[in-house]
Amino acid sequence: MITLRQVVKSYSRGGETLVVLDHLDLTVADGQFCALMGPSGSGKSTLLNLVGGLDHADSGVVEVGGEDLTSMSNDELAGWRASSVGFVFQGFNLIPVLTAIENVTLPLLLAPLSGKQRREHAEYALELVGLKDRMHHRPGQLSGGQEQRVAIARALVTDPQLILADEPTGDLDRNSADQVLGLMQRLNSEMKKTIVMVTHDPAAAAHAGTLVHLDKGKLVRIEQQTPVSAGAR
Amino acid sequence: MVPFRVIWRNLFGHPVRSLLTAASLVVAMFLLCVLRSLVVTLDAGVTEARTDRLVVQSAASLFVTLPENYRGKVAAVEGVKHVCSWTWFGAYYQRRENFFAQFSTDQDTLLAMYPEMEIVAGDYERFRLNRNSCIVGEALVKSYGFKLGDKVPLIGTFIQRLDGQPWEFEVAAVYRSKAGTLDSGTLFFHHEFLKKAREEKLCTGEEGVNTYVVKVADGNDPITVASRIDSLFENGPQKVQTTTEAEFNAQFVSMIGNIPFFLSAIGSGVLFAIVMAVVNTMLMASREQTRAVGILKALGFTSTTVFLVFLLQAITLSLLGGGTGVALALATSDALRDALGTTFPNYVVSHDTVVVGLIVTVVVGLIAGLVPALKLAKLNPVNALRAEQ
Amino acid sequence: MALVPLNYNLRSLIQRRTSTFLTALALGATVATVAGVLALQQGFETLFTKSGRDDVVVFLRKGAASEGESAFTRDDTRYLVNSITEIAKDASGKPIAAVESFLALRRRKMDGGETNVPVRGVSPMSFDLMGDRLKITSGRTFQPSSDEVIIGAKLAGRIQNTLVGDTIVFNMTPFKVVGIFENDGPAGSEVWGDVERIIEALDRPLFNRVIAKLADSSPDALAAFNARMQADVQSPCEVKTEAEYLAGLTGMLSGLLQFVGSILGSVMGIAAVFTATNTMLSAIASRTHEIGILLATGFRPIPIFLSFMFESLVLGVFGGAIGCLLVLPVNGIETGTSNFATFTEVAFAFKITPQVLTSAVIFSLVLGLLAGAWPAWKAAMMKPTEALRRS
Repeated sequence: MITLRQVVKSYSRGGETLVVLDHLDLTVADGQFCALMGPSGSGKSTLLNLVGGLDHADSGVVEVGGEDLTSMSNDELAGWRASSVGFVFQGFNLIPVLTAIENVTLPLLLAPLSGKQRREHAEYALELVGLKDRMHHRPGQLSGGQEQRVAIARALVTDPQLILADEPTGDLDRNSADQVLGLMQRLNSEMKKTIVMVTHDPAAAAHAGTLVHLDKGKLVRIEQQTPVSAGAR
Repeated sequence: MVPFRVIWRNLFGHPVRSLLTAASLVVAMFLLCVLRSLVVTLDAGVTEARTDRLVVQSAASLFVTLPENYRGKVAAVEGVKHVCSWTWFGAYYQRRENFFAQFSTDQDTLLAMYPEMEIVAGDYERFRLNRNSCIVGEALVKSYGFKLGDKVPLIGTFIQRLDGQPWEFEVAAVYRSKAGTLDSGTLFFHHEFLKKAREEKLCTGEEGVNTYVVKVADGNDPITVASRIDSLFENGPQKVQTTTEAEFNAQFVSMIGNIPFFLSAIGSGVLFAIVMAVVNTMLMASREQTRAVGILKALGFTSTTVFLVFLLQAITLSLLGGGTGVALALATSDALRDALGTTFPNYVVSHDTVVVGLIVTVVVGLIAGLVPALKLAKLNPVNALRAEQ
Repeated sequence: MALVPLNYNLRSLIQRRTSTFLTALALGATVATVAGVLALQQGFETLFTKSGRDDVVVFLRKGAASEGESAFTRDDTRYLVNSITEIAKDASGKPIAAVESFLALRRRKMDGGETNVPVRGVSPMSFDLMGDRLKITSGRTFQPSSDEVIIGAKLAGRIQNTLVGDTIVFNMTPFKVVGIFENDGPAGSEVWGDVERIIEALDRPLFNRVIAKLADSSPDALAAFNARMQADVQSPCEVKTEAEYLAGLTGMLSGLLQFVGSILGSVMGIAAVFTATNTMLSAIASRTHEIGILLATGFRPIPIFLSFMFESLVLGVFGGAIGCLLVLPVNGIETGTSNFATFTEVAFAFKITPQVLTSAVIFSLVLGLLAGAWPAWKAAMMKPTEALRRS
């Protein structure tokens, strides 16, 4: 599903060049639930942005679902994101002036669907995350956990094979976090989505089947584990 | 596809700010439409002038009168169909502030020469047959409440009755003007009446008339007719200058001189202020919406869409306010004309003005939205997502 | 009561400089437009009102408000000049009174178009009455009883055939331009020639006014004299001081300009206040956290209100300054408009007086205060806990 070869990404800050990813090689198989871990500045989020086509690598190859992202233009990347990937962010990143269902419908505007189809898809996605009864609420009227579930509904509404989550539980209390992680596990197990989740919280990472450890832009190790069930605790 | 709902909702994300900006736009566009209408009204006498009417005046000055016997001589010129004299009376009603135009004229030809004169009350025939009567424009009826049968007393300035009494004219008909060439705030009375008063030495003032307006017979070239008239009086006693109606009216527009310029200068001031105001609002909006732009981009919307979303937002805001302002100017057109009274009796907000107003509104939105929209479109999604919301 | 350091506000204005600048520009454009109208009114008023003298009186036909409307026959003028005992006499015993004619003649402008140029026929005594307020700046004055004219400096070069050496034709008679004169009043845009030659050339045997010096020019004496002349059987007249006469001519236009200025000021002012209110609201929104800290530290609502009012006032000051800078370049620009009372063109200049600038700055400060009031009140009414929670 995801193949990274010799990927380099650096930023210049205050005249100094900061290498964030240093000739990184990584492969994530289809259907995996993979947690990216590492200390601050290890390059986790940058890696996620590259895989999600939000940013360009300086060199190396980023292949996702058989497509070479490194050769795409910004507009091509945008089109690819619209159809192939869903994002879940730490700060939820819902558009505050839109209601829950409007937020979820947003990515569907980029797909060739009728208004009715869009509505059905969006309602279905909200139902999956258990928030159909809240669909006309604005983000400000929802709790953090509910906001994140709306964000997950938005990420899966276009039915992408890949879901990328950046610290999805960072702003949530334990209970809400468990709900969200449980939801992600279901997406992985029942709907066979490939999930890459950046986190620095071992409790969150425990829900994933694969642990990838990064440090200073390099891959440290990969572990397979038996995920804990969200409902277990 | 452009997410229109995002545009619409963002406008109301800050209802107070959008409302204040829209209100400024209402005021500004209303003012601009009114200013433009004033300029257009001033120019209407020129732009709507008829090519088949010529004006004969003294070559020296509009204030030098032409002899009475020129009327017959001009009428006899080849290509002249009608002649109608206009003489400035310059009196006032009750108080000096109640100033409006009065002319003595030739009752037999006036209506035939001015098809834009529409009789809305009374009877032109009654005016024609009654030497002490007058015909008044609609604006005067509105401003001073003149009614059919009223005797309007006018106090002379340079044409005064020697017995110290005011002049009196009975209202026989009311007219409405359908074109900018005829002011609807004028009182017309019989020139015969004035001539007789002068002959009998009942009043002050010079003999003669100010201008003879000529209707050119069909199939004649107005310019040729004009030069025939001019050459007729080449050797005096009063040299004349015959011009087209447009040139004659342009003389008055040029005399009030720079008023169109002043009005345009004021208009530019208004426009400049409103552009700054809307730019300011859109910059504030763009700062707040940076993160939303990041989200849109992450979801796969292209830079072009993001650009359009923001630009359309600016234009929508501009249209909401500016369109209301233009509509308000249109709606108050009649009320303002009545309020302006005899100063601008032909004031009207034309369709042209409405179109120009709406175009200006859209352009204001474009200007205000362009720079922030470009900035947002160019943003890298990763950076945009880091912005504060 | 501890006040919030003014530095906070100044720093915020600098930090949000784009917004500050745009708002100041919007305020400035408003202020400049209104100030421009006032400058026009000042220029007009200076030309007319301030150039009129109190010791010179103008005789007009009763009922006439301007020279154009007034007419005297030759008999009238003889009677007025020679039989009115109130008129002062000069050293040789001649009455100090001048008979003048006045007519607007259509002339071509140098830059195209036509305009009405006031042509005044004057008597030798007209020059004595003008004194040193009329200066010949080039050429010489005209010879009495000759076909010569002198041209007001504001006309010379703007109207065709108005330079020394040119020939200007009135009706059928050519007149030679022999000099240019300067005068700060409306005469500065007139053509002067011998009154007898001019009325003959124009074939118009009428005089328009008589000006004179009175032996006793006190207001009481003038009022009594005016009353007597109004009722005069032979030639009823209105007698006004020149200052009164000129003020009467322009009162309408001057009043109109003031009216336009105030209407514009209030209408554009509303829009400007809204703009500045937006800026202040945004400034306060982005500093909610800071306000929370101030409140938590123990600052009272009133100092916070004052603090933001100060910030808005500073915006007003910037706006006023920009407005003054924008409007200054129009100072001295000559323009022409019609004097509606005589239907002639008068040239005058925009005049940025200290009065105009003061009004502009005060106007801008008022706009700033009006714009700041509601946002500042909102800031002062915030609850510290809520303000701190919202970032």
